[in-house]
Formats: sequence, structure tokens, C-alpha cells
Amino acid sequence: MTAPFLVARNIAKRFGALTALANVDLEIRSGEVLALLGDNGAGKSTFIKILAGAHRPSDGEIVIEGSPVAFSSPKDAAASGIATIFQELALSENLSIAENVFLGRELKRSILGVPFLKRKEMRQRVDGLLQELDAHISDPEAPVGSLSGGQRQAVAICRALNLNARLVIMDEPTAALAVAESRKVLALTRRLAARGCAVVLISHNISEVFEVADRIVVFRRGRKVAERLAAETNHEEVVSLITGAHPDVRALEKTN
Amino acid sequence: MLVACLLAIVIFSVASPHYATSGNAVTVLRNSVELLLIGLGMTLLLAMGGIDVSIGIVMGLVAIAVGRIVSADGSPFLAIISGPLVGALLGCVTAAVIVLGRVPAIVGTLGLLGVYRTAIFVLLGGQWLSGLPSSLTDLLSTTVIGIPVAAFAIAIAYLAVWLALRRTPYGLHLLAIGNSEEKARLSGIPVVKIRFATFVISGVLTGIAATFYVATYRNVEMTIGSTLALDAIAAVILGGTSILGGRCSLIGTVFGVLLLRILQNGLLLIGVPSLWQPVVTGVLILGVLGFEAASNRLPLARFRRARA
Repeated sequence: MTAPFLVARNIAKRFGALTALANVDLEIRSGEVLALLGDNGAGKSTFIKILAGAHRPSDGEIVIEGSPVAFSSPKDAAASGIATIFQELALSENLSIAENVFLGRELKRSILGVPFLKRKEMRQRVDGLLQELDAHISDPEAPVGSLSGGQRQAVAICRALNLNARLVIMDEPTAALAVAESRKVLALTRRLAARGCAVVLISHNISEVFEVADRIVVFRRGRKVAERLAAETNHEEVVSLITGAHPDVRALEKTN
Repeated sequence: MLVACLLAIVIFSVASPHYATSGNAVTVLRNSVELLLIGLGMTLLLAMGGIDVSIGIVMGLVAIAVGRIVSADGSPFLAIISGPLVGALLGCVTAAVIVLGRVPAIVGTLGLLGVYRTAIFVLLGGQWLSGLPSSLTDLLSTTVIGIPVAAFAIAIAYLAVWLALRRTPYGLHLLAIGNSEEKARLSGIPVVKIRFATFVISGVLTGIAATFYVATYRNVEMTIGSTLALDAIAAVILGGTSILGGRCSLIGTVFGVLLLRILQNGLLLIGVPSLWQPVVTGVLILGVLGFEAASNRLPLARFRRARA
């Protein structure tokens, strides 16, 4: 087993008197799809916001490839190779696919000190990425506003890849998608992992999670209550872990 | 847009014997210089989801500065440089209020409008700044190979703005901000820097406009620029730039300015009092916005958006 890409140790987050997250230990490995499951308010979102640099943990540490990191903004997280694809995708509908993929990190050449866009190179690069992901988008010049939800997910993933993301966090990527589109996005998730990315997937859809995840982590009331290899558990067990009916969870919650 | 311009020209030519003369064409173009320059800046501002309703009065302030320099120093070169410089400075002030002060652009510039209007009154002391020496005029109303200097200035400004908008990261960032500031921020765009720069660019263009204004009219009156902001906003949205930001057309702005000036000039020639000009502008603005709102409500538009 290779060393994990990211290790979270004893992570806690408190908002005033409210404890949103406590004592979370988690390892995230490259080439693996890790699914975070849990009811609303279980702490999944808070946890990924900490990973994404949007929240600072109140306690605990995050270690990336052996060295501790402290993110004070999403930019810091991005610099460490963490890309988050939020549910409400941060894409500009009025700009083209290629422009979106490179937005904020455009390729440019300097002419008389003025930075000019290298449109052709950006286009070619995006063409390549789209093909590699088998995203079925023919024209990188099309405005993102004209794309379907699944295609937009593909663009967001391209963007993450283009930023050389080593860990891609996806927050309910299929929540707003039709079945066929969801299939495609799940396939993209697998391809990301196959490329050596670490993928963290948040989902409410348990059968989807079993389709793509290697490991499943369940959050409940701000704690990590279970971690299972997808191959070694089943739908019923996961549901009971989420609802708290599982004996392990009961035992855990009694001691706390 | 081109069709609308031509149509307006034909109608007015039929309605007024004085309309279709070369002298009048020159007048229309001459009257469009300041509005074209300011319109380019306003296009960027609207594309960004911003606006500046004080821009006409800002031009007035710069014009006073340029006028004073011309009459005190007499050096027209200093005056030519001072226009864009003072414009940039005032652009910085606007940017500081709106961007750094986090005030909504429409309210913030409305506040500045009030302050600046009084500033003009105080600076002019209730009188016109008139009888300016002709040095600046001599320099800027000359022609190079038969083309007026103003035309060159507009062409260069247009090219510069077009390149910035369509060929540099700045343009992409501007449009992304116009689409959604929050998403732009999440994409790692330096939102504050881009917004600040855009107000400064608009200020520079306004400063150049002021220089041409002083060169042409050789006086600055109390009401200078009072309808310019309204005219600029009308011309820009007439040209297809979205008032909501994220989408713009520079060439559309050029035609928008020409159409507006053709209409205003034509109506004047067929005997509509000039007092009615702001009514025309206002009706145009409401017409364009109404049309946009209506076409968004059409079934086809909904279908398009549903697919999108």
C-alpha cells in the first residue's frame, strides 16, 4: 500500500458553541475514490470545506505527502493540488469551455509588456483533455451556458485536471442530473482515479457510491462513525451506519 | 444596428431639407466624439456588471482642469496629457468608493454625481469658463492625411479596448465578473484588481473625451456633461451590451452612439425642441430593456434556457 496523499488527523470544527465536526481522522489515497456519506448536517460539507481551504479547522492537522499544511484560503488549497468541484459549479456561463478551463490561469504571451491570450494553445489543450475524459463535447468554443449539467461537470473536471489537481473533491456531482448524465459523470470519476488522482465524492445516492467508490466513510453528527472498503460492505449496512441503527454506531455513541 | 442607423438617416432626410447635407453629417460625427470615448468605457463597466452615472460630470471636472491648464500655461501638450491623467485620477476616486468601499456602483456613483456637480459649481464660481486660447484647438482639430485627429484617437482607443477585451486575460476576467462576481472569485480571478482597473480605464477614456471637448468648444459651461451618462448608457445597451453584465459588444456601442446622435440631431432639425432630447434617450433605454425583458419571457427563450 502506498503512502496516502493526504492525512487528516483529529480534525474538529466549532462554530461558537456548536460543534460541527470532532475528532475526524481520515486518509485519502491517490488513485482511489473515497465516498463520504452521511445525513444532512452530519459534517461532510464542513469537512470538505476544511480540505478545500474554505474553513479553518478549530483543531487537528492536515498533512499532505508527509508535510503539514495550513490553508487560509481556497487558493492555498489549490496550490497544494486540491481542487473542489462545488455543487453549484463555479463556471462562467457566458464564457467558452476553453476559457472556463483556463479562467484565472490563462496561457499568455507578452507582447510589449501586454499579456495576450494564447487562444489556440488553450483550445488544443482543452480538446485533448476533453478527449481523454471521453466527455463527448465536440466544440471547446461553445459557451458553457449551452451545455447540459453533465457536460458542465466534465468542464469542471477538466478545469481541475488542468490545474494539476492531485485531489479532486466532488460535492454531489450527480444531484441535479438525469440518469444517463449521472452515468457519464460517474464514469468520469473513475477515469480521474485511474489517472492517479485522489477523488473524494460526496453523495446521497448509496447505489451510486457502490458503483464508483473504493472506500466508504460515514459521518454522523459531526463524527466519522465508520470506514469500510466498498467491496466488504453492502447497501443495508451502510444505511444502518448512516441512520445510527448499526450496533457499532450505537456503541460509539454510548461512549461519547 | 447599421440598418437602424441608415433607416433613421433616410427618414430624417425625407423629413428635413437640411438633414442630408455634408455639413450636418460632420456635425453629427463631431457631436459623437465624446460619447464614443465615454461609451467604450461604459461598455466595459456594464459588461462587468458595473455602471457609472457620474461619468458625464466627471468629464466636466476634467474639462475644467484641462481648460485651466490651457489658459494658464498655454502649452497644449501639457493639456493633452493632463486630460487622461486627471481622468485616471478621478477614475481612481470612483474605484476607491465603489470597489474598495464595497458600495453598489449605481448608488455610489449617484453619490459622486451629487458631490461632483457641486464641485463644478464651486470651481466655476457660477460662471462659464470661456474664451480659452485656441492652442489646444489648433492642435486637435487638425487633420492628418485628411482625417481628423479625433478620428485617430477614437480608432486607437477602440482598438486598445477591443484588444484588452477580446485578446487578454483582463477581458475574460471582466466578463466572468459580469456573469457572477462570486464565481469569478472562486475561479481565482483578482476581482478587486480587475474592477478597480476598469473604473480607471473608464476615467482615462473620459479624460480624453474632456480634452476633445475643450478643444472643440473652447468653453466649459455649468451644465457640462449632465446628459452624457444617460446618453452613454442608452447607446451601450442599444448596441447589445447587457445591462446585467457578462455580455457586451464594442462595435454595437459605436453604432449605438451614432444612432442616438443621429436621432437627436434629426429630431432637432425637424423642429423638436432640444429639451426633449433626454426624453428620446429615456424612451430608448426603456424600450431596449423592455424588449430584452419581453424576449426573455418568450416561450422560445425559456426553451433555450431550459436546454442550457
